[in-house]
Amino acid sequence: MEGAEALETYKKKDAAKVVVRFKAVGNAPIMKQNFYKITAANRFQAVIQFLRKELGWKTGDPLFTYINLAFSPAPDDTVANLYKSFATEGHLIVNYSTTAAWG
Amino acid sequence: MASSTPTATTLFRRLCWDGTVPIEVKIDSKELPAGSDRTLESFYIRAPRVSYLPLLIQEVKTFLFDLVLDEASAKDMKTDDWWFEAEGGALLKWHWPVGLLYDLHLVAHPAPDFQMKPFTIILHLASPPTDKLLFTPSIETCKQSFMGQLKEADFLRWGNTKRVTSLRKEDQDGLWEGIVEHNFDDFWRIASKIAPSPNPLAPPLTPNPSSPTLPAPSSRPASTQPPSGSDRDNAYSVRSVPVRIYLPDGPVIQDLVPPFLEDGLPHSLSLFLSAQLPLLFKPSPTSSLSPVDPNAPKSNLAFALIQGVIAPLDCEMAWLGACMSGADGWVNVCIGLEK
Repeated sequence: MEGAEALETYKKKDAAKVVVRFKAVGNAPIMKQNFYKITAANRFQAVIQFLRKELGWKTGDPLFTYINLAFSPAPDDTVANLYKSFATEGHLIVNYSTTAAWG
Repeated sequence: MASSTPTATTLFRRLCWDGTVPIEVKIDSKELPAGSDRTLESFYIRAPRVSYLPLLIQEVKTFLFDLVLDEASAKDMKTDDWWFEAEGGALLKWHWPVGLLYDLHLVAHPAPDFQMKPFTIILHLASPPTDKLLFTPSIETCKQSFMGQLKEADFLRWGNTKRVTSLRKEDQDGLWEGIVEHNFDDFWRIASKIAPSPNPLAPPLTPNPSSPTLPAPSSRPASTQPPSGSDRDNAYSVRSVPVRIYLPDGPVIQDLVPPFLEDGLPHSLSLFLSAQLPLLFKPSPTSSLSPVDPNAPKSNLAFALIQGVIAPLDCEMAWLGACMSGADGWVNVCIGLEK
């Protein structure tokens, strides 16, 4: 296999899904359902947008998201990368808050 | 700089810190107001590798205001709307370090003789595509993003972000100021409290019967031993080295990178890359565990560029984490294809 061909193989999007678990922090509203299967190839930005939609947040409403109550990932990082590095018992835990908590 | 940091580590950190890249900033002439001097559309800059695009704006602005724009349009110009693109239209991530943008450009568009040519970027003065840029490209959001990366790296290394969060506010701000001012001493005086040390003063390794091939004059602790007090900051005691692999035109790959593998051998760049990219890197000669994939290449089809340097594949991952990481604590490995 040529190098260029190998690169094309690595560009293919993985259709696998992983479990994301949302946890409210502080005064943020709690979600009725908080486990979701999300395509691992998605960027974290897609998770933020999904969460905003589920919460009925309007553009400009503040929402801060964290992994493991510790840090905000870059929105262009993939769910797959975050899952591989930070999953806890098979879930990627995403905390959300209406104020900056661990900014 | 803390007195306990070994000289060799300081040298590598200094080399990474002092590294600069040549950039040609072209201004989109369609967006220049009437009355501008259109003979001066390019501006050359040597940017520190650890810097970010929003931090270059001030210098570009001075050039534009002094030489290109007339007085009236200079007054109306708002830098909030400025954004950058590579030649050919690829959006440039303003929250990635400049050195990473340069290395990625180099591996995606290799010059025939691998010469250090200026990286041409286009500056747009209006209509930023905020949906694709993901944030409003301001210096403040750039700082937030830097702190986020710093904490993510800390979490990967130690399982918590205590080292970063226990810094006083003025020290946290001082890290960012060190980058803004490109001041090695100011930055590393604080960063050495967070960054791991390769620590050659650690007690000698007790012989490990399961790994007879281990190089003899080793100064690292065995991975099976819990880190003792003096190893608290040792690069070989971390849970995982913060590393990302960047392929030309994507994707970015991140995984857990323990400093030692199950067989007790130190994790090397060769082992790491052949595991993550088995179609590009041949199986490592020291890998005794993994069965050889029939599709594995006989020789390496690619190389690894770290901080602008083609990295020897026998580098140990923990050492890379201590000596070759960027200011945000991440080791960025850009992959280029061999000719």
